Amino acid sequence: MSNAKERKHAKKMRNQPTNVTLSSGFAAERSMKHHIGGGKPFNAQKQEPHSGTTRQRQTRMTPHSLSEPDGNELCSSKVTFKKKGGWKAGPEGTSQEIPKYITASTFAQARAAEIRAMLKAVTQKSSNSLVFQTLPRHMRRRAMSHNVRRLPRRLQEMAQKEAEKAVHQKKEHSKNKCHKARRCHINRVLEFNRRQKKNMWLETHIWHAKRFHMVKKWGYCLGERPTVKSHRACYRAMTSRCLLQDLSYYCCLELKGKEEEILKALSQMCSMDTGLTFAAVHCLSGKRQGSLMLYRANKYPREVLGPATFIWRAETTPGDPSESRQLWIWLHPTLKQDILEEIKTVCQCTEPIRPTLGIPDPLQTQSQEKNQAELPEEQIGKKRKRKDNGEIVKPIKKVIGDGTRDPHQPYAWLSLTTGILISDLTTEMNRFRLIGPLSHSILTEALKAAAVHTEGQDTEETPHHWWMEACKNPDSVCLHRKQEAVFELLGGITSPAEIPAGTVLGLTIGDPRINLPQKRTKASTNPEKCLDNEKVRQLLLEGVPVECTHSFIWDQDICKSVTENKIPDQDLNRMRSELLVPGSQLVLGSRESKIPILLIQQPGRVTGEDRRGWGSGWDVLLPKGWGMAFWIPFIYRGARVGGLKETVVHSQYKRSPSIPGDFPDCPAGILFAEEQAKNLLEKYKRRPPAKRPNYVKLGTLAPFCCPWEQLAQDWESRVQAQDESSIASSPDGEESDLSSGDEVLGAAEPATGPQLSDDVGTSAFDPKEPEEGMDTECQVQAGPERVKDLGSGENCAAAPGGQLCVLRSRKLLKRLSAWCGPSSEDGRAARRAPCRRQEELTREAWLPILEHFPRALVWVSLSLLGKGSPEPHTMICIPAQEDFLRLREDRRYCGPQEPKHRDPFKSKILKQKEKKKLEKRKQRGCATSMDLAGGDPVARQEALPLGLWSGPLPAVTTHCSRVLLGFVTQGDFSMAVGCGEALGFVSLTGLLHVLASQPAAERGLVLLRPPASLQYRFARIAIEV
Amino acid sequence: MVRFKHRYLLCELVSDDPRCRLTLEDRVLVGLIRDTIARVHGTFGAAACSIGFAVRYLNAYTGIVLLRCRKEFYRLVWSALPFITYLESKGHRYPCFFNTLHVGGTIRTCQKFLIQYNRRQLLILLQNCTDEGEREAIQKSVAKSCLLEESSEEEGASDSGGEEAAEAMAS
Repeated sequence: MSNAKERKHAKKMRNQPTNVTLSSGFAAERSMKHHIGGGKPFNAQKQEPHSGTTRQRQTRMTPHSLSEPDGNELCSSKVTFKKKGGWKAGPEGTSQEIPKYITASTFAQARAAEIRAMLKAVTQKSSNSLVFQTLPRHMRRRAMSHNVRRLPRRLQEMAQKEAEKAVHQKKEHSKNKCHKARRCHINRVLEFNRRQKKNMWLETHIWHAKRFHMVKKWGYCLGERPTVKSHRACYRAMTSRCLLQDLSYYCCLELKGKEEEILKALSQMCSMDTGLTFAAVHCLSGKRQGSLMLYRANKYPREVLGPATFIWRAETTPGDPSESRQLWIWLHPTLKQDILEEIKTVCQCTEPIRPTLGIPDPLQTQSQEKNQAELPEEQIGKKRKRKDNGEIVKPIKKVIGDGTRDPHQPYAWLSLTTGILISDLTTEMNRFRLIGPLSHSILTEALKAAAVHTEGQDTEETPHHWWMEACKNPDSVCLHRKQEAVFELLGGITSPAEIPAGTVLGLTIGDPRINLPQKRTKASTNPEKCLDNEKVRQLLLEGVPVECTHSFIWDQDICKSVTENKIPDQDLNRMRSELLVPGSQLVLGSRESKIPILLIQQPGRVTGEDRRGWGSGWDVLLPKGWGMAFWIPFIYRGARVGGLKETVVHSQYKRSPSIPGDFPDCPAGILFAEEQAKNLLEKYKRRPPAKRPNYVKLGTLAPFCCPWEQLAQDWESRVQAQDESSIASSPDGEESDLSSGDEVLGAAEPATGPQLSDDVGTSAFDPKEPEEGMDTECQVQAGPERVKDLGSGENCAAAPGGQLCVLRSRKLLKRLSAWCGPSSEDGRAARRAPCRRQEELTREAWLPILEHFPRALVWVSLSLLGKGSPEPHTMICIPAQEDFLRLREDRRYCGPQEPKHRDPFKSKILKQKEKKKLEKRKQRGCATSMDLAGGDPVARQEALPLGLWSGPLPAVTTHCSRVLLGFVTQGDFSMAVGCGEALGFVSLTGLLHVLASQPAAERGLVLLRPPASLQYRFARIAIEV
Repeated sequence: MVRFKHRYLLCELVSDDPRCRLTLEDRVLVGLIRDTIARVHGTFGAAACSIGFAVRYLNAYTGIVLLRCRKEFYRLVWSALPFITYLESKGHRYPCFFNTLHVGGTIRTCQKFLIQYNRRQLLILLQNCTDEGEREAIQKSVAKSCLLEESSEEEGASDSGGEEAAEAMAS
């Protein structure tokens, strides 16, 4: 710091004259040296014969400084000037003989030198400011820094030089085109296409880029979060209004083939244990969207691949087994590669379909043709050349492309044995998600069902032949009317949560740009639409009828034609401006585009007891190219737009795991965790050691990642050790344990009172409960072959697998969740288990679970009892006995404190540093020693950041004073509940042990401790199924 | 502008004894002036003038000295200067006196004045010069002082470069 300051000062004083003394021999007189311009004249002067007459003359000349020339002369003669002519004083001794003569020339020399020094100081400005900045205020003028002529004449020259310098410093940006040319449409499109080569843009990219912080993720450019401050506003939009998200980056895989073949193939990848499978009756009919977990074939419960949602296309002729069915599987882009590969192997689809193989490929679209243009030589057909020419003439806007796959790779595969056709429909469709109660009204206001084409209208000019064909068929017209009626009914429903989860509704609508409002408006529910109570009730009860789910969007040819025949915005605006009455409704008649869309209800919060149905909404599937045409109308109806961060918040409040962060056992999740750890570590290292937490002292072993494997292992070995010791000590340990468990349950029985009311409330609120039961029943009927599958899965589980897995079996989770709560046996048991007897938490009950899942994790949600807001990587710990005692004494007791740990690494790091310093010094001393320089980088690599645990972690569970149970993956203050809430995983083994050992009244209480704090806080654990 | 306002006294040291020049130094001068003020104006004066007092520039060859003091009390310093009659250092006393040439508000004005003053001096010297050789020498130096304006730019450039190199060496 001081060095920089000094330098700055030196720079400022560069032009100022320094003191000139005789004795100091000025070392600092560098500036003077130059001005004197060599001492030769001095030396020459010195050798001249000095005459005494000059002296007298001089005294006469300068009467006011009588004695001065004398002195001047005397010293100058005594001084021996250096060769370079500095004011170098001679030998220090001042008492040298005094010369007798004086010359006017030395006097003049001294004056001249001073004048030069002063001139330099006066004419040259001090360096830290620009020329015009040295002017006094009243002489400054506007734009002086740009226009040199605005400066006073005397300064213009200097300013000119400065301006030139500044131009040089400016970054040279390659402008091969002028601004106007760059802004012209063709060039812009070219530029845009170039910029999205690596990371693809969504159709709404430019809209987002103006308003969002963009990140490059998963091969796309996505909006991370709005630039405006809107965390709370987005939450409000989700709960009471409408939040809009562009989910077009989700990947869609299409499977075509015989129903039974597809089901047979895919049943290997999923298990009934985790919930509904592809064969669920409602989903199979096409009425509902289903969601499930996918595993590697026959590997359940290990090797999870990730969650997916799927829709079946409704059968056109129900009950016909030979009919070819269509299935869409929607995936997160991070999961796509793995799942696609697995599906390919399961369906035995190895034959990639090249466009050159003459098969009429439904996927053939503009972009892919464009992609083909880039294909290597063997894939070129005739089309390539034609397209190439087209490209040269006019670059097409790259409506699509794909960030998740290489353009050279095929995107469709056919199986010769099973006849299943798999195709990758990524970015063939847009998917917008509307979340919140107002999404109905926004949808009904923004979208209007397409007008039915009547025979009387002229037919030749319209490009929408498919719609005319459809309108000729009275059945499809009837269907369209029906869909329209259902869609109109939706407008009267107050919340999307009232509709059965995953309802699918197909629709054909007119161009949404036609009835765009002039200004941004706010949609509101209009209850008068709800007048038709009977119909609404029927809709709510039965959902959308199966035939209404039909949509033309399933047909690729129609989609393609819709995309191609879109009227450009420019033309539409021109037509609008040509209207006779400005601002009146534009009537296009039969030229108006008809767009097939698919509406899918997204269930909100389906687990847990409070806030059921929170965050529900609708997904809209559109053909590609129409993204902005729908996006703007939605926004003009009052939807607020969220980015990726809002997606995370949404899933957190829904208490559902977010993809891919909350799937620690799937490859994408592991990758995500690694990346996150790397980023956090980098961020941590950016701070100086004194300004960042020392995690070693805080007792946090892994502040940036969660060591799940080690956690599960530790618990496994811990339990084994305990078992052995207990068996050794008392052979009847099991019995005593059992009896104590019974006691515990007995003690908990009387505490039924407060729970009862809660129970009543939830059951009244909960419309989905019977639904669920029905679903499972249906499933049992539908899939006899899956029983076998389940058996195989269980066999697999029984095999001693040392691998980490997450417990997702619904049965077990339900049992666990019943055990978790402090009053687990009363209300919920009474409601839920008339059919299934509630197992008691005994050793017999949980031992088989542990045998099946020795190293399993359980997804839990935690809500804090008092203060505190947890953050990711917070540790979940088991409270000790004394903590309970203190909590019982004082209900407001906020939790124990972790004692400070010692940092064994600090001394090592310090030693290392000193060593390095020494080495450096050595190096500086002997720069020739090359071997030392070679050894140095190795030492530097070993340097660890202070405050982090280095080397392999010790036993994670017992490192702190409270035993570790798991980690939090998402956590924040919840605006919905009003206290801190967290979601995370705990070790199954650990959880069961804790639950068994805790008294019933305090069962399910754990401690949370953030990585950068010593304070533990109480939280209640819950497992929601 | 918010700043401390100063006055700069541009003085000329006039002495018969050439050895006086040799002893002319910062510290000596400051001590001398402070003592004189204390003698003339008492403790109050000394204290009032000691704030912000400094020797900003000193040239032993020409005897030019630039003193800085606060604007409020520059009269005290000014009035004390005539009372300096001896320059004292290392036990020697050299008779001398101060000639105040200019009182300015900024260093810059003083520098400008000094240029004018020195030019005038050189001119007088030139006019009254009789010896041919000396006349030439004076003319040369006068020319050099005036030529500066053109050459100063390049010099400045080379100067800064050299300076940086020197700094690098030092650090």
